[in-house]
Amino acid sequence: MKRLGPILVLLGILSYSSAIQASQTVFQTTSAYHNIKVVDEDGMRYLYFDNTTESRMSLDNPLEGHFEYIEYFHMPWLLGQEIRTVVMLGLGGGSIQKAVEHYYPDVNIITVELDPKVVDVAKEYFHVRPSARHRIVIEDGRIFLRRSQQRFDLIIIDAYTANRYGSYIPYTLVTKEFFELVKQRLNPGGIMAYNVIGSIYGGSEDIVTVMYKTIKTTFKQVYLFPASTSRNVVLIAVDTDEPVDTTQLAKKAESLMAGKDRSYPGLLTRLKNLRTGAPLGTSRARILTDDFAPIDGLLKAE
Amino acid sequence: MVLEIIGARLLATSFGGAFYVWVSQIGVIMLALAIGYYVGGRLADRFASPSLIGYLLLLAGCFTALIPNFATSLANMIVDRHPIGKDIPLIWQKLDPAFGSAMIFLLPCIVLGMVCPYMIRLATSRISEVGKVSGLIYAASTIGSIVGVFVSGYVLIDRMPISRIFRLAGIMTMILGLMCILGGHLRHTLEDNT
Repeated sequence: MKRLGPILVLLGILSYSSAIQASQTVFQTTSAYHNIKVVDEDGMRYLYFDNTTESRMSLDNPLEGHFEYIEYFHMPWLLGQEIRTVVMLGLGGGSIQKAVEHYYPDVNIITVELDPKVVDVAKEYFHVRPSARHRIVIEDGRIFLRRSQQRFDLIIIDAYTANRYGSYIPYTLVTKEFFELVKQRLNPGGIMAYNVIGSIYGGSEDIVTVMYKTIKTTFKQVYLFPASTSRNVVLIAVDTDEPVDTTQLAKKAESLMAGKDRSYPGLLTRLKNLRTGAPLGTSRARILTDDFAPIDGLLKAE
Repeated sequence: MVLEIIGARLLATSFGGAFYVWVSQIGVIMLALAIGYYVGGRLADRFASPSLIGYLLLLAGCFTALIPNFATSLANMIVDRHPIGKDIPLIWQKLDPAFGSAMIFLLPCIVLGMVCPYMIRLATSRISEVGKVSGLIYAASTIGSIVGVFVSGYVLIDRMPISRIFRLAGIMTMILGLMCILGGHLRHTLEDNT
């Protein structure tokens, strides 16, 4: 037994050093907006902006390994009518784009990303492939929508970045005027899906509550999908009179999953997180406008 | 500096959250100050009375207070001149915000830049004091700038609509202008009496 001690120590050192090797920086660059880093660790590939994780992908299968909140972006296929055209503001590692391309073969996507280096990294390291079905535009999201003459079925917004002090969201993408623009660019019955980092129990000062109230000024129905494993809340807005019927949604999910040869498998599980009510403190929350959007004070670090 | 910080925020609704908005805003304000220093110095030598700078400040204040009324549509015009349906070339993505901030901020900031040399001219009576006086005025103006940056970035943006911040800055500039005009008249009457 005496000899076992040093062997254990040796094993410890070995496993420790192999753990270091398992985490490997594949690529690093600095753009006008972020320090961008691609790191491989334990079979997963991570995208970092300024040392916070933006995206995750399995190295074996580019469709796997994404964060939980990404899956709530499938909900518009349950809530709305047929979806043919999707605009996505913010690229990151392209998790949503890859899923939409895979599960909905007749959908066309336009991705709008501000940072050209993020586009390069997504193409090179995250299997994002521009094609006839997926066009990538390098532009500010709000300018793209303002200049566009088209109408779309679904507009997804995931233009967040985060740093150690908390989240950062461009203030031009959270105001009443912006949501009116989104509505103008949607087909009747079209859907907006928005990733927000915050809490539905955060009260009137939480960014989720403030955004819920602001979106409510423009869209009649706003649904919340708080993620179970992170502070992400996906807000889904539709401008229809009838609120959604939860039992009917479950039925639609089942029929979707049974009917199609390729459909997203987690629909029913994720549907359980649906919240139809307003977040805590909504009545006291303020509405954000272009003129007054004090969001820098609202985004708290965890 | 209040105009610089709040202005970048205002421009972002039209030109987007691009890095270039900040670059152009800082560049344009520095350009305006350079022009203002030069022209202000020349004018101060020729018309050594605070009245002229007073009227200019009154004008700049009016302009500043009205910025929220025209800035957004002006900036949107700049972006909308690009053909719809085609991507905006990168060079214009970079230069458009600079044009926008020049059209909105160049004029008031030139006038504000003129204040410093004017004050140096008015406050010095002997050549042996120029160093002391100009040092004092530069220090005061820079401290004012520092306060402007932190107060607008840390406090005002979280508490006040952008439009009201512009109105306040405009009104303050106009008050300064009126004080100069008043000071000019006082000086005249004093000179007439002696």
